Amino acid sequence: MASTRIREAKERDCGDILRMIRELAEFEKLSHQVKISEEALRADGFGENPSFHCLVAEVIPTPGELQGPRVVGFGLYYFIYSTWKGRNIYLEDIYVMPQYRGQGIGTKIIKKVAEVALHKGCSQFRLAVLDWNKKAMDLYKSLGAQDLTELEGWHSFRFEEAAMRQLAE
Amino acid sequence: MAKFKIRPATASDCSDILRLIKELAKYEYMEDQVMLTEKDLLEDGFGEHPFYHCLIAEVPKEHWTPEGHSIVGFAMYYFTYDPWIGKLLYLEDFFVMSDYRGTIEFGIGGSLKRNQSLCSMHFLVAEWNEPSINFYKRRGASDLSSEEGWRLFKIDKEYLLKMAAEE
Repeated sequence: MASTRIREAKERDCGDILRMIRELAEFEKLSHQVKISEEALRADGFGENPSFHCLVAEVIPTPGELQGPRVVGFGLYYFIYSTWKGRNIYLEDIYVMPQYRGQGIGTKIIKKVAEVALHKGCSQFRLAVLDWNKKAMDLYKSLGAQDLTELEGWHSFRFEEAAMRQLAE
Repeated sequence: MAKFKIRPATASDCSDILRLIKELAKYEYMEDQVMLTEKDLLEDGFGEHPFYHCLIAEVPKEHWTPEGHSIVGFAMYYFTYDPWIGKLLYLEDFFVMSDYRGTIEFGIGGSLKRNQSLCSMHFLVAEWNEPSINFYKRRGASDLSSEEGWRLFKIDKEYLLKMAAEE
């Protein structure tokens, strides 16, 4: 029986991470928005001052299995700051390949990020989810998450580059 | 509002930053939610690996507040990562004291733009905050929650501890 482990991503995982970023964007019906390259991921995540941190879920083959370990999921996170509560952690992306779902890998990734959060003195863990993704919402709620958009009316806003240039003039 | 100066915050500005954070929280009816202390702001913003950056708006003596404060506005931001695009600036809080609104907001916005190479800016707005929603929408911001269906979830520390205990 193959087992899964969650470990810190290494630079060599960037090919797999980019593949899964694209798969996740496709699932979210927003794949046209993916502009990033493998080189950018390597530079941004594995340089001196990383802009993000990443965990990967790896399936370890059983003895005798010909195929080596394979990366089947990831969680990409970074640290944020709340003016009310201070240090927080934000899970930007979490994804498990469809054929590996239902085995608790997503939960394992979230628990590992929770450990990191506590270790770094964070008081809260945040993440965003699309309102039609009921399975994901149910999973997060089962782990103690609350929907701030529903409870407190918070909406996520964005200024794109063109609008920002106008704002600054 | 004639003169003002926008500059990066220094460690000695922490008590003013906390004062303005509490004032903004009061405006959002969330004053009792501010747990942050001056010590936290100092450690987290001016230590080896800052968790945030801050710009402040300062006015000359003739425009100080009745209580004698020269700092009348602030913007707190940090960098996030969008795996589709790359590094982004996230504007956590942006507040100018009511008597000083009108031009300072644009000064802060301009400073943010000039000092960082920004391709996008993200922030949260409460859905009942119509004046802010209109301010941002008129300037080209999109409401991702309404347009794309994004919901923000949080997991509080007690559940993080439960999860860690189960491992």
